[in-house]
Amino acid sequence: MTKQWGLKSTVGLALALALSTGAMAQQTSYKFGLAMPLTGGQATYGNDQVKAAEWAVDEINKKGGINGKKLEMIVLDTQADPQVGIQSVNRMISVDKVAVFVTAWSGVVKAVAPIANDNKVVELSVGANSPDISQLGDYVYTTFPLADVDIRAVANYSAKDMGKKKAAVLFINNETGIGSATVYRDTFTKAGGQVVAYEAYDQKATDFTGPLLKIRAANPEIIHLQGLVAESPQVIAQARQLGITVPITSYSGIYNQKLIEQLGAAAENVIATSLAPGVEDSPLVKDYVDRWVKDVGRAPNGLPYTQYLYDAPALIAAVFTSLDKKGITPTGENFRKEMLAIKSFDLPLTGKITFSEDHTVNKPVYLVEVKNGKWTKKAVVGQ
Amino acid sequence: MDYVFTILILIGLFVILASSFDLVIGHCGLISIAHPIFYAIGAYISAMLSKQSGMPIPLSILCGGVGALLASALVAVPALRVSGDYLLIASIGFQLGLIELAKHFHEIGGAGGLTNIPSFLIKDFGRESYVVLVLVLAVATVLFIRWLTQGPYGRMMTAMRDDELAFSMLGRNAIWVKVAVFAIGSGIAGIAGGLYAHYFRFLEPDQFGLLQSSAVLTMVVVGGMRTTMGPVIGAIVLQLMPQIITFFNLPPSILGPLQGLLFTGLVLFFMFVRPQGLLPAADLWVGRNRDGDAGHSRKEARS
Repeated sequence: MTKQWGLKSTVGLALALALSTGAMAQQTSYKFGLAMPLTGGQATYGNDQVKAAEWAVDEINKKGGINGKKLEMIVLDTQADPQVGIQSVNRMISVDKVAVFVTAWSGVVKAVAPIANDNKVVELSVGANSPDISQLGDYVYTTFPLADVDIRAVANYSAKDMGKKKAAVLFINNETGIGSATVYRDTFTKAGGQVVAYEAYDQKATDFTGPLLKIRAANPEIIHLQGLVAESPQVIAQARQLGITVPITSYSGIYNQKLIEQLGAAAENVIATSLAPGVEDSPLVKDYVDRWVKDVGRAPNGLPYTQYLYDAPALIAAVFTSLDKKGITPTGENFRKEMLAIKSFDLPLTGKITFSEDHTVNKPVYLVEVKNGKWTKKAVVGQ
Repeated sequence: MDYVFTILILIGLFVILASSFDLVIGHCGLISIAHPIFYAIGAYISAMLSKQSGMPIPLSILCGGVGALLASALVAVPALRVSGDYLLIASIGFQLGLIELAKHFHEIGGAGGLTNIPSFLIKDFGRESYVVLVLVLAVATVLFIRWLTQGPYGRMMTAMRDDELAFSMLGRNAIWVKVAVFAIGSGIAGIAGGLYAHYFRFLEPDQFGLLQSSAVLTMVVVGGMRTTMGPVIGAIVLQLMPQIITFFNLPPSILGPLQGLLFTGLVLFFMFVRPQGLLPAADLWVGRNRDGDAGHSRKEARS
């Protein structure tokens, strides 16, 4: 019995391999991988990000590709799950022989890092913001600023530019919530402010009255909320119901149209960050958002993230073009060298990016505020 | 080749998981779907022991197995004393509670996951050696469970599963059998967890949740409960199918939904068309099948 089934599985694998070799034969194109959640709970974001990358690849190929050669993108599903991500990335590297791949979601980014390092293939994390991503190894880079960048900007801006002296911090009790809340507290205190309340709520909580009442009693001038997209609107709504009217700051997660739709007037005085230029900052971004409305009939889910995904193929194409000009074989090792040699890239939708020695990138932080039912630009911090 | 190795390793690991799960839910009839948490316990114990105290990896994997075994006994003893259904509730509670707890322990990586787990065998003997190790252990697990279920112990389990009251009347201790089988199955899952940890070198609490429970359950149901080869086939089919689909070069807008519908579709299909799974268990269908088959072959032999 065992023998028979062993044979069958071998045949299946051989078939799978035979199918793949057909795609490997041609050398006239440049390939890269994109591993994103196409299914599962994160799919609404993953699919929009894939669409943005697809548009970018089409655009690059329309403009002549990599010195006349085609840029090809291999898209595979990760379900935002480490184990599925490992399989997808292994497939891209072993079967499709990519030299570089793009992925997101902290769990997947971390899980596939050993594969990238072992195979000397460049992993570009685009969208995950866990601070330890910068320490995952020689072949792991991020084009997206890690968590501490925007939290620091918000804390500094509140203390220095808005002149707030007393802040309260309300955060979700998980890895990212705790990490970011600590960064905010330390930065705000250093900038001369005082954190008068520091409250956490449980991940699955739906009622936030307890911590909010404690915060109200502490009488802060500003509140920083570090939650997830899912429950943040609820928290803000309950805060406003309890008569807390001070400005509420948060991070890029809550920067979307839905927040205003859900909260209505309660959304006023909410300040979020964006790590990419908005519609008002760049005509290219405006064209891009218009294209979404025209082609898909709505704005993209998580606009800034899709902007970063749109720009990833441009960065990869720039490195490939340079390698192609010099006639260097596009291995992962050469790709990494060339990418670090070029160092600075001017990208269409997110602006300039410079790779630093410590595997992070620095970007200006855009602060946006809800005013009269609309997200309006407040300030640009950093750079 | 890494791709093929990874698939083979995952197939091997899921053969171990599905077979040991079938021992618990199929052969012994214990309703619990918390199998992945024992997989997780084995993985985390083995990873932490080798990472923090530098314990030799084979030993740490074994400790992971023992840890999972003890943890499962801890859940089973109080739950089974009440009644069978309580095991389902207690085990799910244990699974979800432990996952939540793990997310808040920064020593084991918290919700962000445990990274930099030491690797085993790969550096010295290449990835092939790990594939061989996992597949050998998978075959050993299947043979062990076959030996266990087809011997006198197996007959005891069948008797208890089919009529617990009659079984007790014979002077046997049903609870002791249940706890022992639950612990054996979970201990095997723990060893599989250790094997997972030292190859993939990253663990995240969320990956051992209800999604994985349903995946393993699907493997057992699709393959055929209470058979030796059923879970093996289920594990192979459900590991290979999503991979094969990716070779059809479908656009992401089709690939995504197709992958998503695959599991659900398979479960629905089997529930309606073939509830006994690909390989039906002999004792359930014995009357009809044996007669029918025998008649067929006799006729064929004559003509």
